[in-house]
Amino acid sequence: MKGIVFTELLEMVEQQFDYTLVDKLLTDSPLPSGGSYTAVGTYDHREINVLVEELSRQTGVPIPDLFRAYGRYLFGRFTQVYKPLIENVHSAFDLMASVEQHIHVEVQKLYPEAELPHFDITRLGPGHMIMIYQSERKMGDFAHGLLEGCLAHFGETATITKTVLDADGSSVQFEVIKQ
Amino acid sequence: MSDIDVLKRRFLREKQGRLEAESILEKKALELYVANEQLRQLNENLESEIRKKLAELRESEQRYRGLIESVQDVIYKISPTGIFTFVSPAAEKLMGYTEADVLGRHFNQFVQPGYRESLRDFYLDMLIRRQDSTYHEFPALTKNGGEVWIGQTVRLMTDYEGHILELVAVARDITDRKRAEEALMTTQARLSTLITNLQSGVLVEDEHRNVILVNKLFCDLFAITAAPQSLIGQDCSAVAEDAKHLFVDPADFTQRVAQLLASRELEVGERLYMMDGRVLERDYIPIYLGNQYMGHLWRYSDVTERFNSREQLRRSEEKYRGILNNLELGVLEIDNDQNIVHAYEEFCNMVGYSQEELVGRNVQEILLPTEFHPVISQQQKMRNEGQAGSYELQIIKKDSSRLWALISGASIIDEHGVVTGSIGIHYNITERKLLEQELALAKQIADDARQAEKQFLANMSHEIRTPLNAIIGMSHLLFDTRPTRQQMEFIEVLKTSADFLHSLISDLLDMTKIEAGRIEMHPRPFHLAGLLRATQRVFQMKLENRPIEMDVMIDARITGDFIGDDVMLNQILLNLVGNAEKFTEKGCIQLTAKIKKQENDQCWIEFQVADTGIGIPDDKLGIVFQKFKQINPQGHKHKGTGLGLAITKELVEIQGGTISVKSREGEGSVFTFMLSYAQSVQSTDPAESAENRPVSDAILAQCNILVVEDNLMNQKYVSNLLNKWNITYTLASDGKKAVEEAKKQAFDLILMDIQMPIMDGYQAAVAIRSTHNPNQHVPIVALTASAMPDHKSTALTVGMNDFLTKPFEPKQLFAVLQQYAVPRKMFPVAESERPPANALDRQQLSNIYNGDSEYAMDMFTTFLTDIVPEFAVLAEKVSDQDWPTVARLAHKLKPTLGMVGLTNMQTMLRRVEEMTDSSPAGPQTNSQALQLLYVDFEQELSRMLPLVTEELHRISQE
Repeated sequence: MKGIVFTELLEMVEQQFDYTLVDKLLTDSPLPSGGSYTAVGTYDHREINVLVEELSRQTGVPIPDLFRAYGRYLFGRFTQVYKPLIENVHSAFDLMASVEQHIHVEVQKLYPEAELPHFDITRLGPGHMIMIYQSERKMGDFAHGLLEGCLAHFGETATITKTVLDADGSSVQFEVIKQ
Repeated sequence: MSDIDVLKRRFLREKQGRLEAESILEKKALELYVANEQLRQLNENLESEIRKKLAELRESEQRYRGLIESVQDVIYKISPTGIFTFVSPAAEKLMGYTEADVLGRHFNQFVQPGYRESLRDFYLDMLIRRQDSTYHEFPALTKNGGEVWIGQTVRLMTDYEGHILELVAVARDITDRKRAEEALMTTQARLSTLITNLQSGVLVEDEHRNVILVNKLFCDLFAITAAPQSLIGQDCSAVAEDAKHLFVDPADFTQRVAQLLASRELEVGERLYMMDGRVLERDYIPIYLGNQYMGHLWRYSDVTERFNSREQLRRSEEKYRGILNNLELGVLEIDNDQNIVHAYEEFCNMVGYSQEELVGRNVQEILLPTEFHPVISQQQKMRNEGQAGSYELQIIKKDSSRLWALISGASIIDEHGVVTGSIGIHYNITERKLLEQELALAKQIADDARQAEKQFLANMSHEIRTPLNAIIGMSHLLFDTRPTRQQMEFIEVLKTSADFLHSLISDLLDMTKIEAGRIEMHPRPFHLAGLLRATQRVFQMKLENRPIEMDVMIDARITGDFIGDDVMLNQILLNLVGNAEKFTEKGCIQLTAKIKKQENDQCWIEFQVADTGIGIPDDKLGIVFQKFKQINPQGHKHKGTGLGLAITKELVEIQGGTISVKSREGEGSVFTFMLSYAQSVQSTDPAESAENRPVSDAILAQCNILVVEDNLMNQKYVSNLLNKWNITYTLASDGKKAVEEAKKQAFDLILMDIQMPIMDGYQAAVAIRSTHNPNQHVPIVALTASAMPDHKSTALTVGMNDFLTKPFEPKQLFAVLQQYAVPRKMFPVAESERPPANALDRQQLSNIYNGDSEYAMDMFTTFLTDIVPEFAVLAEKVSDQDWPTVARLAHKLKPTLGMVGLTNMQTMLRRVEEMTDSSPAGPQTNSQALQLLYVDFEQELSRMLPLVTEELHRISQE
């Protein structure tokens, strides 16, 4: 998993709480990498779950909520870090629709080693879309948060109905209906 | 402490992270460097590769350009919008345009106006359908305004993405080919138009017997209903089979077609006969290209009309050729110089020369005897004047023998009207000539015989009549010499016999004339009733002292003049009444005339002569009108020639009438004849008519009459009678003297003999009637030797009033005198009879001898013994037509006649002499007249000789 996901998580924790919690997480969690993350590095994806699990213990916030919140936060960071990628997109729906065909294609070019989830996207109308998330990382909540972050970025309001299609969380359906 | 620990850990973590990032970046930078280095190297390779390729490209382009420039064809490029972007230099050579003229301009400007649209359509079509390569032809405009036909192949040039960049064309000058094609097409079009419109059925087949061309007429001829155009390309091998039934000989037709197809040789003008009667002419014309057989052409022409007319012409030619051959006519054609141009077969056969021997030769030199050259020259002259003529001449045959040819020649006139020669049709008349000569000889013999017969008859007639006249006349006079009773009886018999003899001769002569057709009708107005009365009077005189009444009953309607031949009627009546008188002993003879029918002015008058004579047996009634049939019983005192009724019937029929007879034996006969006369509008006053003017003997005696008569016997007879009746008269011995006398004094009647020397009675009558003299309107009565109507008609025609047939009885003459003589002055009636005039020219004799009887006796004796035989010689010469001798003899003998007082005969002989001399060509033309004249002379001589003998006797007794 790309280093930015780790660095931004720790940044978000530091902003929401303080570095003490960050230190606690890093110290208390069994992390093979030792916890000295850099954005350009690449780390075992299981370490994110370890970190989020520890954070949940420390804060008492359930893990799904933490992932969902981190998704919202990270999309904001993306708009700044990867500005050129979304510059020419003018609506949340367009962006969401182009995730698989455009965003992930470009990401793959930059980071050939990156492992990216797969989205099946069906546009049922101008404000109605069904996205099916599929990934062995089982990070549906994180994706939920990213979608919410996206709507927020474009200032759009929509109801996102999440339906778990596979019990292990490797396949999740999101129905987005613009309001 | 904890914060510091946290910070320491944070720092360590940060530092660890930085080092990790630096190592990653260092690694990435190195990778980048290597990659960059590789890229740089790759770039350098690429540049050199490009340079190399560009050089190669330039070289290739150079090569292609050279190629483009060197080819004859024009290569050019145009943009999809039609603007020229390239043109090869060949364009200048081909069309005169330089590159500058063309580049940047639209192709339209270089195309003939009429073809611009089609070229644009062609390009558009190519662009729309994205065809890689196409071909198109069109006429382009050259710079100097001419035209060049272009055939161009165009390729479409596109880029990798399929965008059309330009069109590249290779254009070639196909003008020559195009012109040739056009010429070919024109020729083809002309040919097919020609063939299609020919007045013949035409079928052109290729070598596989597929139709290339067929016209309507062909289809019509072969009863093909399909349109000609639809047959093109079809197999026509079955046409002959399908059409054979149209021909008279179908098997022959198909067989012949097969033969022609097999032979592949030209065959023209074959004639075919169709069932419907038409005649076709077929031409088979194989078509070869070099030695390659390409098919053939059939041509069928309907020549029915031509055939028929030719057939007619041929038949006509054949007919005339046949006629010519059968006629054995030799035809010869010559030019204007008499050179033979063409000698036809029959002519060659005729003359024995071959055609080759004759052509080019001069006709006169090779074929004509010299004596006939003038004939040819004359004919040539006539031909030059445009006259066709026929003539006879002799031709010398190859074997030198001669043949007589009848030639009909005519000029040959060419189309310009110029006479180029002549054509002669020769008919061999050699045999005919021989025959002609024989015929001429035979005719001469026959003519001579006929002439001799005629002369004999004429001689006989005169020979017999002359003495008969004398006998009759003298017997009349004898009655006045107080004969004894017995003598009286003798004289009676004498007279009767003479009368019979006379009628016999007359009838024979008359019948001869009728049979010779010499009798013609001479209609003229005449007083019919008067004629009947005259007839009555003649017979009343005859019947005097016989117990027979002569009655005439005339229809009251018969008045005035009728138009008809009164002479013939008179003859008929005389015959019939004479016949009745002959066979009637007693009773009456009744002459009746009544109108049976009248239509306008035309009258049918029935004449009837009824007698109370012996009648005719029933079985003989049918033959009374036949010649030489005499029905009177043997021993009857009246005999005749049997010709009287035959002559009568002929005369009736000549006038368009009919005659019939009814009779009862022992009771009498009735002859009925009907004649048609037109009633004359001009009616002569019956009061003026002579017959209504009875003249008493006393008055008659005061008349002065001119007697014109050359015959001394007749002179004597008439003189005696006139003296007996105390009638004054003057004698004239010929017509000339009569005319002279007529000028001297006025007469009351002229008795005119017809046959006289110097001037005959007709001429004298004409002279008297037509010249101013005291006797211009005095009655003239002809004394004719013949009772035949022809003589009488002539007499009336020349202005004479009537005629008296010689020999006549005193009563007949008296009747004539009573009828015509109107005395102008009164003479005392002289009772004494005058002596008859002497026959010999006493004046002449006394002039010569002046009473010297010895001298006279000598001369008369010499004349009778020596001279008279000379006349026999003369007669022979006349008969031989030895005219020079005749002339000489006549000249020699002539004066001797005068010496014995035969002055008239001297005149006659002088005339003979004159006639023999009158024509330098000889007296042939006058031979007949001469012979007749001599006959007269001989008659005269035989008549006069007794007088001469008598005179000698008288002189010797002095």
